[in-house]
Amino acid sequence: MTGSVDFDNLVDLHYAGLYRFALSLARDENHAADLTQQTFYIWAAKGHQLQDRSKAKSWLYTTLHREFLAGQRRQHRFRHYELTEVSSELPNIDPALVNQLDSQTLLACLAQMDPIFRAPVALFYLEDYAYKEIAEVLEVPLGTVKSRIARGLAQLQALVSKAVPGSPSKGAHA
Amino acid sequence: MTRDEAKRILLLYRSRRDLEDAEIRAAFEEAQSDPELQRWFDQHCAAQRRVRDQFAKVPVPSDLKGAILAGRKIVRPVFWHRPAWLATAASIAVLIGIAALWSRPSPFQRFDLYRSRMVSTVWREYRMDISTNDLSAIRAYLAQRGAPTNYVVPPKLEQLSVTGGGRLKWGNQPVAMVCFDRGDQQMLFLFVVSRDAIKGEPGPTPEVRMTSRLQTASWSDRTNVYVLAGPPEADFVVKYGPGQ
Repeated sequence: MTGSVDFDNLVDLHYAGLYRFALSLARDENHAADLTQQTFYIWAAKGHQLQDRSKAKSWLYTTLHREFLAGQRRQHRFRHYELTEVSSELPNIDPALVNQLDSQTLLACLAQMDPIFRAPVALFYLEDYAYKEIAEVLEVPLGTVKSRIARGLAQLQALVSKAVPGSPSKGAHA
Repeated sequence: MTRDEAKRILLLYRSRRDLEDAEIRAAFEEAQSDPELQRWFDQHCAAQRRVRDQFAKVPVPSDLKGAILAGRKIVRPVFWHRPAWLATAASIAVLIGIAALWSRPSPFQRFDLYRSRMVSTVWREYRMDISTNDLSAIRAYLAQRGAPTNYVVPPKLEQLSVTGGGRLKWGNQPVAMVCFDRGDQQMLFLFVVSRDAIKGEPGPTPEVRMTSRLQTASWSDRTNVYVLAGPPEADFVVKYGPGQ
């Protein structure tokens, strides 16, 4: 029953993180749960092909992301932002405001972000992944990941600044 | 390095682990010699910690883990690339598992999982095996492939333009999919599976429920279980469901 125990352990370790990642992408609880289940279905069917078991976690996140993208009907072309382009949007959130942030508000803000930024930003916050690992999960170059995270953080923090009660209508930027 | 350049780079800082990146390390060191930059950086780190904490608090459905583990039991291990003794041991384990599960419905028999999977099919890149405006041609196609053909399309739904269909699988059971065009670029999808294949099926009166951002109506007759899926905002269930 080792395989079953391994599978149970894998689910135990990663299902919550995968679900949160899926929710950040899909913005719908049912869809997120379905993506998470589908990811483990695929693991159950194909996971034995992975030689390096230490990469199981990355494999799961990559698979979930692929499944999400496969479900997107329309293919969008997204602009690649260089890190230097972020300068006009450097976030500077009032610490008192951010202390009022709760998870529901955060999810609502994430849902308003450009889709291209959601996955890297979610992985930035959810997992202690190195940037190289995030690039591998999302299957994009390292520089692209960094620029998307920087850009995404700026966008998210601007949204948080607007969403948290008592905040000014526009986020403060440095 | 200017202060703004340092800020841009420090956006990417999460923990000391990120100091392995030479660029981030340089900006980090810059902050240590620039009080204003350091103040900004401290505020930024505090905000990041708060956001990260809130991410970790996003609730996860309590039944999700059970559903995943239930789904696992339907997958058969692959034995042929493993040693014979392991294959034998695994076979015995599977038999024990099957015996233990004998009295429980298989995940593939659970109606809620079936409905969820069918709706997911719509969200993914589904493929119509046959494109036609002829319902009888779809039935003929499905008949050739062993999918249900004795289904009853509700009269109002039958009045819509059909665009095609396909044969899907749920476990080992064939599922008929028929696609309808409502005329406003909104599609409706009717999934039909044998009633013998499902436990916990709905009754003859449509059950309406949001499933993965689609509205679904589910019902059954004496031989089949039906799921009709369509756009969330539509009142299509009232217009096109059975009994209308």
